Order: sequence, then structure tokens, then C-alpha cells
Amino acid sequence: MMTADNPRSGRAAVALPWLATLARLALGTVWVVAGAHKIDDLRASVRAVRAYELLPEPAAQIVGAGLPVAELLLGVLLIVGLGVRAGAVLSVLLLIAFVIGIAAAWARGLRIDCGCFGSGGELGPGQRPSYGPELARDAGLLALAGLLARWPRTRFAVDGWLFDTDSSGTDSSETRA
Amino acid sequence: MSKQRSRSGSAKLMAAQGTAERRGRAVLVGTAVAVLVLFAGAIGFGLYRAQQEPASTSVAIPPGATAQGIPTGSPDAPVTLDVYLDFQCPICKTFEERTGDTIERLVDAGSVRAIYHPVAYLDRFSTTSYSSRSSAAAGCAAAAGVYPEFAERLFAEQPPEGGDGLSAQRLIEIGRSVGAGGRFADCVRQGTYEAWSQRLTETASRAGINGTPTVLVDGEQLQDRSPAGLRAAVEHATPR
Repeated sequence: MMTADNPRSGRAAVALPWLATLARLALGTVWVVAGAHKIDDLRASVRAVRAYELLPEPAAQIVGAGLPVAELLLGVLLIVGLGVRAGAVLSVLLLIAFVIGIAAAWARGLRIDCGCFGSGGELGPGQRPSYGPELARDAGLLALAGLLARWPRTRFAVDGWLFDTDSSGTDSSETRA
Repeated sequence: MSKQRSRSGSAKLMAAQGTAERRGRAVLVGTAVAVLVLFAGAIGFGLYRAQQEPASTSVAIPPGATAQGIPTGSPDAPVTLDVYLDFQCPICKTFEERTGDTIERLVDAGSVRAIYHPVAYLDRFSTTSYSSRSSAAAGCAAAAGVYPEFAERLFAEQPPEGGDGLSAQRLIEIGRSVGAGGRFADCVRQGTYEAWSQRLTETASRAGINGTPTVLVDGEQLQDRSPAGLRAAVEHATPR
């Protein structure tokens, strides 16, 4: 069971934690940026969620107002590397929800901005929805989050310091880096 | 740093205990992270609710306006036009410039009643929440009976996106130039109709108005917002 977790072939053992570190920082940065862009106008965020025409009013308010703050915290936790596996799993769940929302908007022919980084709502007459790129971006992030959920051990993480007692294969690679 | 451990039985036992302890700690941290993120979401929701005026409180409505907007024209007109606009929205400006006169003529002819909803959707596109400020100022203009003229001037002087918007002073000057006297200046400075603006924005959003401009002809969304498109839609909606 541990073999997949700790690939012993020298190079992979060295590369994996660094790769996961990059994934962690990238994902964390995206969450922070997404949250920060929306947090200063929570009403606009609620309106962006309403524009999907998916959630009943109370749920749209909770998601629209809660998401920016949650994204911001999730991003900060990932960047400092605290509870990386949980953060990665939460990221996977959120991204799956986003993909469903965007795909549903696309399928129903709505013309909206996804509101992923602020704004949101209906597009102007000259604007075309960019559901394809939005979905591709979320798929990429989903891959990063999945990678991180599977291999949450990364460098420069608070987790590493918290779980320092580990003397097994994964951490011994630390000395080689 | 690597600890040299003899592979004796007790060392293995200690290692097993260590693993269990680590796992316990990982579960604890994971749970804490999930709870924290949920809690952050709850804080966001709490902030949002705190910003909202409770639906039960009554807000000051400009004389001549309603809770939802500013009606112009005869209430007996056969067709009702709802115009949702944001003074920061460039396409609204284009719409006003292209089709504004047509609406005015239809209103003057008694063919339509136009209800203007100056919503504040685009606060993010200025550093001073110009959408909200201009919307509240439109309430002051409605109270002074000069909304149509005021709105036209606001679009003519529409500030660029991402800028500071028009200052309160400039809004007051524009109001004066179209004949708003009396308490107009105080009304703009004190934000008398801020709550009204917020309320009508919320009402519009809940009614499924997801962008500006949105024009409804007897409740039906107008697709072709050109003068000809509007005239055709109004004609179609007019009962004969």
C-alpha cells in the first residue's frame, strides 16, 4: 500500500514533493486571487451565483457570500501548507461544483460570465461566453488538486513541521534535497 | 537529522505508535481545516446579511418614485417598459444614446409607460462605488422631478471603468444644470436614497435581471434594443 505513496526510484522520490509543492502554491494562489477579487463586493458575488439560475435564493446567498471568504482562507492554508490533504480534497469538491455550474450554464444556453474572479452576471451583446476556457482552467486546477490530495507531502509546509516525527521513506528524501 | 534506530521489537512498537499518532494528528488537522473553511464561509454570509437592510424595514422612497424604480409617463399607457440600467455601464450609455429618444417619444405619445430601474450592479468598476452613488443620486433627481434629464447627462458624462467615478460635487452640478433645486445637493451629499437604491438593486437581481441594460416590454425581455426593435416590440405588445 505504501509503495505508490513512496516511489523509491530515486528521481521520482526527489521530484514528487517538489512537484506537489508547486501544485500547492499554484492552487493556493488561485484561491487567494479568486477570493480577494470577490470579497470586497459580496452582493455582486451573490448576484453572480443567482445568474446561474441553479440554486434557490437562500442557498444562492450562502454560496455567494460564503464562497469568497472560504476561498481566501483555503488559499492561505494551502500556501502556508497547513492541512494540505484536507485543503486539496476541499479544492477538488469545490472545483467539481464549479465545473457542474459552468457546464449547466453552457448546456442551458445562458450567456453569463462565470464570476470566478469577480464580476459575473449576464454578458453584453458583443461579448461571447467563454465556457470552454473556463472549464479547461477548472480541469487543470482539478488535476493539481487531485495530485495534491494523493501526494500531500510538500516542501516548505507547516504540515512538514507538524508531522516532523516521520522517519520513513518520504521524509528521508528531505535530506537529499 | 536522520535517527538511527535499531530494529529491535520495541523500536518497531514505538514506530507503530508513532504512525498511529501521526494519523490521529492528520485526521485532527484535516477536520480542523474543513471546519475552518466552513466557518470562513459562515463569516462571509454573516457579513453579507449584516450589509443587507432587513426586508421589513421601510426605506425612504423618493417622491415620484416607487420601491422598484422611477416611473415616467401615463399609468394608463397600454404597454409597460422596464429599463434596468447602471450609470457605470457602457452598453447602457450606448442604449440611451441610440434608443433613449425613441422611448421618450413613445412615452410622450402615451403609448408606453417607462419604469427606470437604476440598479447598482457595477460597483466593482470604480474605486468609489460610483454605481451606488449615481443610483442614489438618481433618486434625488426623481424627487426633484428631473430624472430623465439627469440620467441623460449622467450617461453623457459617464466616467471610465476603473476610475473614481463622478464626484458628489459633479453630480450636484449636473443636477443643478438640469433644474434640480432645493434639497438636491443635501440629498446627494447625505446619500438620502442609498437604501432605496440598494433595495431596488436587490429586487432586480432576485427578479432574474442578471445584467444591464435589460429592457422588458410588458415583462418580456427585449432582444433587439435598436429603436426599430423597440418600436416593433411595443407595437406587438400593444393590445388592439
